[in-house]
Order: sequence, then structure tokens, then C-alpha cells
Amino acid sequence: MVTMFTEFMSKTGFAMLLENPDWWKTLIMLVVACVLLYLAIVKKFEPLLLAPIAFGMLLANMPQATESAIMHPEWFTQTHIDFGNVLSHGGLLDLLYLGVKLGIYPPLIFLGIGAMTDFGPLIANPKSILLGAAAQLGVFFTFLSALLLSDLGIVNFDFLQAASIAIIGGADGPTAIYVTKTLAPLLLPAIAVAAYSYMALVPLIQPPIMKALTTKKERGIVMEQLREVSKTEKILFPIIVTIVVAIIIPDAAPLVGMLMLGNLFKESGVLDRLSKTAQNELINIITIFLGVTVGATATANTFLQTETLMIVVLGLIAFSVSTAGGVLFGKLMCVITKGKVNPLIGSAGVSAVPMAARVSQNVGQKENPSNFLLMHAMGPNVAGVIGSAVAAGVFLSMFK
Amino acid sequence: MKLFVEGLPIAGIGFLIVFFVLAIIWGVLELMKFIAQVGTKKNNKADVTENTVMPVNNTDDDVDEEELVAVLTAAIAASLNTSTYNLKIKSFRRIGNASPAWNDMSRKENTETIF
Repeated sequence: MVTMFTEFMSKTGFAMLLENPDWWKTLIMLVVACVLLYLAIVKKFEPLLLAPIAFGMLLANMPQATESAIMHPEWFTQTHIDFGNVLSHGGLLDLLYLGVKLGIYPPLIFLGIGAMTDFGPLIANPKSILLGAAAQLGVFFTFLSALLLSDLGIVNFDFLQAASIAIIGGADGPTAIYVTKTLAPLLLPAIAVAAYSYMALVPLIQPPIMKALTTKKERGIVMEQLREVSKTEKILFPIIVTIVVAIIIPDAAPLVGMLMLGNLFKESGVLDRLSKTAQNELINIITIFLGVTVGATATANTFLQTETLMIVVLGLIAFSVSTAGGVLFGKLMCVITKGKVNPLIGSAGVSAVPMAARVSQNVGQKENPSNFLLMHAMGPNVAGVIGSAVAAGVFLSMFK
Repeated sequence: MKLFVEGLPIAGIGFLIVFFVLAIIWGVLELMKFIAQVGTKKNNKADVTENTVMPVNNTDDDVDEEELVAVLTAAIAASLNTSTYNLKIKSFRRIGNASPAWNDMSRKENTETIF
């Protein structure tokens, strides 16, 4: 009886935790997971993704025997992954993580986003697409900043890691995951958490930058009403964008192609069932798989590093500079068009759809209560999705 | 500074490629816009001809329209913080709601914030 009890006790999480010399790191990870759950549920910071990520983190950091572990992040950090071993001995999250590792989930998320996105404001005001390009400034600025920090000996990021961190500036979670799983898989949990946290903090991060870079008069500019966009234009748009992007940057084709396919489902008018599936059930299922498995890669060994802190700092820089890039380009467009463009819509060029556009609307409305910038800001906002996917494609084609 | 110096041309070229790709899409969209405007002008001409032969609306429709104009005037006045006497609605047109659910949600939330 006593032997049985002792054996049982030796197999519990308590015993495993105490046997581990780094037990305190595991405890810290559990606290981090609980804090993230608090932020997601109570503070409503991107709960749809932060909650699954935090719960995945919680599951993966529970003390458990290696052979029966729910997730083995170390299997996926090697140059050659033993897929046979994963399939025959992997835990539930190991199997689900294959969707991240093989680059399946992010494009499927993009399919759903495409089915939910109205590109009408962008088609009605085509020049606003340039704001989506300008808002990628933070991506390339942060790429250089990460390399500079490495040169100074503060961290040790190579080109691949710098590119993965920099893509946080695109403010697009699936894109950040898609690039990082290919270029720097070890940094995936830290980058995913940083990317989604900053996306949730858009309403706090962007307004001070927007106000600092614009005058009261500029913020009060009322833009002309957008023209009506025909059905034909909306159907042609996804087809044309796919052809242009896939020809110039084939590495961006999975993301942009699926985004545009989802949009074609929506706009064609004959694929309602597929459109509804893509923007509801499919994206929800993939979000669960993606969130939980990405969170589960955040074990004490990979997450509790100096690099994680630096990624959080660099992510903030990336996000802020991207916002500034969009606003400054908006100011340039304002000058060129003789005051017809409100520079505030530039900040929506970071993707973070539709939150960034709503921030432009709210900041603009504080200066002029009768000003409705939302639809004008949706143009650069959806352009930002395309822009960040193109930036990701550029990095992948250079470093893959 | 070795990595930084090596990274400078990569970042520069990368940023230019992003601009280049989106600028091409901009050009194509402008072309589409031009074609759409030409098409609209042709349609407008056809509409004028059709309108001249359209029957006069019946009385019920006129009453409904008056109510709608009153509601629209009041809504615009409230949004602009002005009196309805300063506004005159010359025409209105009903458009289909093709916007996605999150746009509708965003508009609803904005409206709730204001009122």
C-alpha cells in the first residue's frame, strides 16, 4: 500500500517539479501564463488569440514526464525535424503544431481575414495603398536596430532573427508567425506574444505618436466622400493583386493568395457558403490550434531569456516607427493634394484590422466631432495587410 | 558595425520592393477607377432617358419619402451639431449593405460612443 502510494506520488507533477533544478523557472512561466490569461479575459487584450496562447503556455509548462508530454518544443528547433517521431510519439499539441511548422495555419487565417475584409475603400481611393507601404518603415528600421544591437554586443541576433523580430512592425500576427517559424523558430513564442500584445495595445500606442506628428489643423481635415465601387472592380481586385504579388514575390503568394481567395469568396456573390465558412468556423478553428500550439512552444528554456526582453522592446520600436512612417507619409500626401488627405489615416497603414482604422477615426473625431475618417482609414488599413505580407515575402525570399 | 552595414542595403532594397509592389497595384487600381468612371458616365446617360419615361410615384411613397427625409435631416443635424433649419436634403439614395460584420460593429460602437 505504502509502496503504491510512494510510486503514485513520484509520478505527480509535484515530484517532477521538485526534481527539476530549474523548478523556479517553471513557476515563473506559470505566473506569466496566468498574467496573460488575466489580460485576455479581464482586460480584453486580443482575447481571441491571447487566451489560447496563454493556455497553451500553461499546458506546456506543467511538470510532466518527457515521454508523455503534451508538447515537445525541442523537437521542432532542430534543422531536420523527425516527422516520423512526431507522428508516432508526439503529444496532442505536437501534432497540432505541425500546422504551424508546415506553414498551414497562417495562410488559412488569411483566408478568413480576406473573407471578412471589404477592400472597397482601398479601391475607391487607390493612392491610400501607398500609406500601407509607408507603414512598413518600422519593419525595416527595426531590422537594422536589431543588427545594431548585435554589433554593440548587447544581444546576439543574426539576420534571420532580426528579420523575424522586425516583422512585428507589420502588426500582423499570422504574418509574424509565418516568417518566424521559417527563419527563427526558437523566437516564435516571444515574437507571437509580443506581436499580439502590441496589436491589442494599438489604442494606447498610436494616439500619442499621431498627435505628436500632426497639427491641430491637419487632424481636423475632412476628406471627400469616397466614390461607389462597382461589383466588377471588387471581383477583379483580388485576382489582380494575386497575379501582381505572386509574380514579383512568389514567397508572399501563400499569404496574399489566400487573403485574396477569401476576398473573392466574399465578393463573387456565388460562394456565400464558402465565404461564411472561411470567416466563421474555419478561422475560429485555426485560431484555436494556432494560439494553443504557439503558446505551448513558450517553455522556460526558450522564453526566459534576455532575448525575449529585447524582442519586446524592439517590437515596440517597430510598431511605433511603423505608425510614424504612415503618419509622415500621410502628411506628405496632405501637402501634395493641397490639404485633401487627413494625415491621421496614415497610422492605419499598420495592418491591425480594423482597430488601427478605428484609432484614426477616434483621434480625428476628437478634433472635429463631425469628421468621419473610418472608411478613409480602412483603405490604408487593408493595404497594410497586403504591405506586411509583401514585406514578409521579401524577407523570406532573401533569407529562406 | 559589420552586421548593421551589411543590413543597410538589405533594408533599403526591401523597403523599395514593398513600395514598388504596392505602387504597381496602385497603378492598376487607378486604371480600374478610370474604366469604372467611363462606364458610369455612359450609364448616367442611359438613366436620364429612362427617368423621363418613369411613372410618377404614388402618394403613399411620397409620404414615406417625406418621413425619410425628416429622419435623415434630424440625423445629420445631430451629427453636425447644428439645427435642421440650416440643412436641406436635395437627394438621397439607398445603397446595399455590403460591408463586413466588423465594419458594422465598429460603426455601431462609434455611434454609441457619440450618443
